[in-house]
Amino acid sequence: MAFSSAPDPSLEKQFGEFRTHLEQSGTLRDRIRTVVSEIESTTRLMYASILLVHHSRPTPELLEKAKSQIDVLKEKYKQLADILGGYPGQYYRYHGDWKSETQTVVSMLTFVHWLETGKLLEHKEAEEMLGLNGPEFNLDVEDYLVGVCFMSNELPRYVVNQVTAGDYDCPRNVLKFLTELHAAFRMLNLRNDLLRRKFDGMKYDLRKVEEVYYDVKIRGLTPNGESVADQGIKGQS
Amino acid sequence: MLRSFSSSFHRLSLFMASEKTQRLHQITGTNFQNTSKRPKTMSIATDTATVTDSAMKEPFTKYTEYLNNLNDKRERVVKASRDITMNSKKVIFQVHRMSKYNKDEVLEKAEKDLAAVTNQHVSRLVKELQGTDFWKLRRAYSPGIQEYVEAATFCSFCKNGTLLKLDEINKTLLPLSDPSLQPLQINILDYILGLADLTGELMRLAIGRISDGELEFAEKICSFARDIYRELTLVVPHMDDSSDMKTKMETMLQSVMKIENACFSVHVRGSEYIPLLGSNDPSSFLVGVPDIEL
Repeated sequence: MAFSSAPDPSLEKQFGEFRTHLEQSGTLRDRIRTVVSEIESTTRLMYASILLVHHSRPTPELLEKAKSQIDVLKEKYKQLADILGGYPGQYYRYHGDWKSETQTVVSMLTFVHWLETGKLLEHKEAEEMLGLNGPEFNLDVEDYLVGVCFMSNELPRYVVNQVTAGDYDCPRNVLKFLTELHAAFRMLNLRNDLLRRKFDGMKYDLRKVEEVYYDVKIRGLTPNGESVADQGIKGQS
Repeated sequence: MLRSFSSSFHRLSLFMASEKTQRLHQITGTNFQNTSKRPKTMSIATDTATVTDSAMKEPFTKYTEYLNNLNDKRERVVKASRDITMNSKKVIFQVHRMSKYNKDEVLEKAEKDLAAVTNQHVSRLVKELQGTDFWKLRRAYSPGIQEYVEAATFCSFCKNGTLLKLDEINKTLLPLSDPSLQPLQINILDYILGLADLTGELMRLAIGRISDGELEFAEKICSFARDIYRELTLVVPHMDDSSDMKTKMETMLQSVMKIENACFSVHVRGSEYIPLLGSNDPSSFLVGVPDIEL
């Protein structure tokens, strides 16, 4: 029985082309990962700056230091956009490689923005900050929302430390913000995925902040730092 | 009264220092229930919070719309993918009905059925996968497309003895879309993944052909399966999600070896070799096992 021995040339050709294509894709992915690891280290620097807000009341200098990393991040995302520039439509093919780093970036940007303005940084504002409002390379909405949930996780710790540092008004502000945020998130119809799980976690953040608020309020700690009881005694003597 | 509040909330502050959020949730629940005289002004129930005056309402309305559209689309794509899978499997079963004498009719029906899958189900993906959605929703449609590739390449091999190439299969998909739309084209990864599953069917076919006495056909199948496996070994390490493929390659080699063993047995025994009834099941331990010499 004769076996066909010579490989079919059209077969060889197709798989040869596949190999070329996939090698290119692999190289692309390596380039992406290099930039993403730079994003990650920049993010860590930014986070180290931000962590100082837990140590004392935030100052403009502290926030400036954190914000200085934003330009570096913007540059990194531009590099990513350039790398993918030759491959239109394939943002989501490689999206997994920068997804979680981007979520962390968003959580930091939104936290710094809140510290400065008391408001929530919107998706399109975050896009602009990172230079991601171009035609091809954008900020995924779900990444933004997950990032916002990560930001909420910082708030309970923040509020505890601010009260210790003497800011008794902070709990009321944080509570108002987080309550609104949680209510806004409740508008979304979420599936059973990471975003849903992070949103579920937000209610624990809200509870903790509520408790700090009550702790401060029932002791009558006023914004100027004195308790109502102390004022009463002072008045009597 | 204020004192009992004070001590219970003091306990809360201590607990807050710990990381046990679940326990914390339970404890706060109990405390609030016990302190029934808690003033109403302190109850900031999240249920009653509304977003009506908030600046967050407008952007979140947009996010809600975005997610609703995305999830609805994903649903539609998953449904189409399931239908593609189911009907592609039927095509494959149809091809297996092939015997020495009814080959042409069986294959003709299989081709018609495949065309129906293309026109009725694969077509549903065209408008859903425009632009970035093609890669965004890949997890939703990939299983269906892989099964489709398996069915199409299977039919094509049985008819022509050659491998249906990716650009050939993509040509058949062009008529599905309006020229104004981006045509649906199967991507290289789904093609390769579908091809990996093909060897399993080739094995079943080879065993079936051997039991029908179609030994030459079986050897053609053997040669074809080997070629595919060999070509894939160089391609697989470069794939995006190569871990799935690595497992498939192991299974593929097993299938190829089963075909090779079956061909070997036939070759060694010539016309003596008649597989025992019931051992056409490729997973039967009897396949490839030498007959007992009496």
